[in-house]
Amino acid sequence: MKKTEIEEINRNIYNIKNKDEYDYKIKKGLTPEIIEEISNQKHDPKWMREFRKKALQVYNKLELPKWGPDLSELDMNEIATYVRPKSKLNNSWEDVPEDIKNTFDKLGIPEAEKTSLSGVGAQYDSEVVYHSMREELIKQGVIYTDMETAIKEYEDIVKKHFMKCVPVNDHKFVALHGAVWSGGSFVYVPKGVKVDIPLQSYFRLNSPESGQFEHTLIIVEEGASLHFIEGCSAPKYNKINLHAGCVELYVKDNAYLRYSTIENWSKNMLNLNTKKAIVGKNAQVDWISGSFGSKISMLYPMSILNGEGAKTEFTGISFAGKGQNLDNGFKVVHNAPNTSSVVNAKSISKNGGICTYRSSVKINENAENSKSSVSCESLMLDNISKSDTIPVNEIKTDKVEFSHEAKIGKISDKTIFYLMSRGISEEDAKAMIVRGFAYPISKELPVEYAVEMNNLINLELEGAIG
Amino acid sequence: MKELTLNETPVRTAKNYNINDIKIKEIKIPEKIEKFKNVIIKKETDKDTINENSSKLKLSYGIGKELIEQINKNSNNNEKITINSKTNKKIIIQYKLNKENINLIENIEIIAKENTKSNIIIKYESEEDLKYYHNGAIRIKSEENSEVNVTLINYLNKNTYNFLSIENEIENNSKINYNIIDFGGKSSITNFYTNIKGNNAQNNINTIYIGNENQLIDLNYIVELRGEKAKTNIEVQGALKDNAVKHFKGTIDFKKGSKKSKGNENEFCMLLSEKAKLIALPMLLCSEEDVEGNHSSSSRKSRCKPDFLYNE
Amino acid sequence: MSEKLLEIKNLYVTTEKKEILKGINLKINKGEIHVIMGPNGSGKTTTANAILNNPIYKKEKGSIEFNKEDITNLKTDEIARKGIFMSFQQPEEIPGITITNFLKYAKNKTTGKPVKVFEFREELKQYMEELKMDSKNIERSLNVGFSGGEKKKNEILQMLVLNPKLAILDETDSGLDVDAIKTVSKGIEMFKNDENAVIIITHNTKILHSLKVDFVHILVNGKIVKTGTQELAKEIEENGYSKYIEKEC
Repeated sequence: MKKTEIEEINRNIYNIKNKDEYDYKIKKGLTPEIIEEISNQKHDPKWMREFRKKALQVYNKLELPKWGPDLSELDMNEIATYVRPKSKLNNSWEDVPEDIKNTFDKLGIPEAEKTSLSGVGAQYDSEVVYHSMREELIKQGVIYTDMETAIKEYEDIVKKHFMKCVPVNDHKFVALHGAVWSGGSFVYVPKGVKVDIPLQSYFRLNSPESGQFEHTLIIVEEGASLHFIEGCSAPKYNKINLHAGCVELYVKDNAYLRYSTIENWSKNMLNLNTKKAIVGKNAQVDWISGSFGSKISMLYPMSILNGEGAKTEFTGISFAGKGQNLDNGFKVVHNAPNTSSVVNAKSISKNGGICTYRSSVKINENAENSKSSVSCESLMLDNISKSDTIPVNEIKTDKVEFSHEAKIGKISDKTIFYLMSRGISEEDAKAMIVRGFAYPISKELPVEYAVEMNNLINLELEGAIG
Repeated sequence: MKELTLNETPVRTAKNYNINDIKIKEIKIPEKIEKFKNVIIKKETDKDTINENSSKLKLSYGIGKELIEQINKNSNNNEKITINSKTNKKIIIQYKLNKENINLIENIEIIAKENTKSNIIIKYESEEDLKYYHNGAIRIKSEENSEVNVTLINYLNKNTYNFLSIENEIENNSKINYNIIDFGGKSSITNFYTNIKGNNAQNNINTIYIGNENQLIDLNYIVELRGEKAKTNIEVQGALKDNAVKHFKGTIDFKKGSKKSKGNENEFCMLLSEKAKLIALPMLLCSEEDVEGNHSSSSRKSRCKPDFLYNE
Repeated sequence: MSEKLLEIKNLYVTTEKKEILKGINLKINKGEIHVIMGPNGSGKTTTANAILNNPIYKKEKGSIEFNKEDITNLKTDEIARKGIFMSFQQPEEIPGITITNFLKYAKNKTTGKPVKVFEFREELKQYMEELKMDSKNIERSLNVGFSGGEKKKNEILQMLVLNPKLAILDETDSGLDVDAIKTVSKGIEMFKNDENAVIIITHNTKILHSLKVDFVHILVNGKIVKTGTQELAKEIEENGYSKYIEKEC
């Protein structure tokens, strides 16, 4: 009984709806004037003003993708692309306005900061309201700040890297991002510095009929290492909200970066996010991804293995319930010899939800002696849901070992009977099996995030099966 | 000269993956077509009948609109085969393209009646080293409790366009098994579609291909399972040499109602040259809970030199 | 007089429209060990599954009473919580759930009481030692990658931890070598007391060499055709089932 109560509270946590209060909310729509106004509001340097304008032109030229979920319900004329919260950037939670602070309190962010993180950033609507990092990291030269500050204080580095990994013409929503981006985090880990305790940025979208377009830029210099966690959520509204963030990761030679995400957007969110990593010689980027929220999600993190011996691993799970269409996956390009990629993707569909695993593995001519192994598993919890696996594998060299495996199925009745014969109810047995199914992902997460993910699974399964 | 867009996948994906369809550039589609004369047909029993009355094509998929229209308008060989025999008797159809018969546009329709068993072999060969054109369609309907074993052999030369559309409809407790040997053609494009309508029905496909020189092989296999306890097993294996390019698109689609069905797909490609390329898109689509779907695809450099593959 | 624990009355069971059990009657008192023997396909596993009400086995007729309560149509988990345990012939593999977590959860469900973590771990360790199981296994996923023997021992471990009133061991001895069979019978001896009972389902008699039993039932073609003592098992060992099968025909 007690357990159920906790779950109820959890659901409410994500759904905390603060009053739509803001310092400034730009009018809805997407015109050169609006873009100009964002630049004014944000005091952009000249190059950024130009950048936004060009991006808008690219946006107008590009078409919506002709594949994947139907995005026709997205009307940019109904979306406010910039909402500045009633708060400046603070480095103490005390200074964050009460209602915003309460939201993050309930999401457990300040608490996690004390116990298991070495730095935290918190964004509310379009701007970061809190940023802080442990003293010893500052001393080692680690930079962790919001993008706005980064543009002012580290303009050269930002200019050199900003939307170079994810070019603005990559697809329509990257171009949109380029035009209206705001907020996000900038991380710079100097050569040889190992950040053992994770940094986390949390993105909260409170304002209805608006979009969040945060930009995350992480540079891990040679031989350095970092674990970065990204969390996101929003209360549910009746109208569409849009998230088109962009994540650019530069993992230099011999460096290591782990990028973990627990995505729990509300179910009126279109999550059209783009994430890419460029990986240097003998460097490695690992993606851990849990996708639970959103009405529609199109998210395919990508690793570009440019350096010899570069490695990447992707471990991800999607959980689609009623009304959700989660089109997620992973992309990797092997561009150098002796590179390797390992993919372990899982999905769960229930109650009419659609999960699609869409991926691309490309092994180029020069990627001799590379290895790639992909494994996908999909679980169907009923027969009104859908689960598709759409992997493209392109191989252009003979000196390669490539394998791809996919499985689709349901929870076996035998397994349920086995667990029930040990006194476990049918519903609990199914939840237990699903948690076990998700375990390869949850074990990669810091413990409180694993707990959060298991709670989300229980929440999603509650009352839906049996 | 024309450009053809062929073999569209049932589900689209990003354009830059170059797998949604295949474009054949600068192709001359023959227009004046004479009857194809160099065909040999053998059958082992008089119970099975063969005549020229194959019906018009109305395909669910097909290789591409223009080529299907060409068969409906201009086919130069029509075979309608009705299987009545229960004893797995052979029927052999052998096409030999030569300088008098440079275009083959055939329409083969096979009806396997209830409770029959048959063994059908269709072979495409070419005599001289000319540029030939082949655009064919094979349809098989297996009625209840029947079994059809089909062997398709493509030994056409490497100057030839080879286009083939296959469609199968399988009813309760029936089975169609395919062995496909795909060795020939400059561009060898095969569209294979099966509708497993019935319960306890099966479709098994075993394909072996070899690509060499500048050959392009594009295989688009789609098996839809609709009946309960339906089964499909797709095995595609091959090797690529020289500058050969292979695209394999394999779709197993569990439609609603295909309870307790099983689908397996295995694809293995051996790369025998640095310049050979492959793209594979092995899809599993699923709208039914109580099914088992598996696919695996792999490729690597050959560890031994498989000379035996070349002793054609 | 000993107290009745389980009574099966005139039980008819079908699966996939095939009649398997054709009128089973069986009475088990506290403190007894019963053996059900019979050739393949005679309905032994069906009997075990029917007691636990596995939904793929349909009860057409008859009833099952446990501790003076009708459990015929209770759900499997409810029956388990009443105190019936079954060791599976082919235990299921469950990835991502460790033995410890699984057993802790199951114990909590069957006893209805919170499990004290430290004591529980000690208990688990001790049992594993007795069963010659590698204690590292407790952090492994349940049955995943276990050998046949490891899986069977793991079933006995679960029986000891959950401590049911009635344990049904379905072919727990099959496929095991002599040493493993000894370990399993040791487990049964550790479990057994005057308040509980055991049903051993087997098609061979090896396990009976190292275990003393009270009753032996011969199940052929869905019916118990003969009930006797340990002597009956010896007779089967020497002469096989043919005598009883012929009787059926």
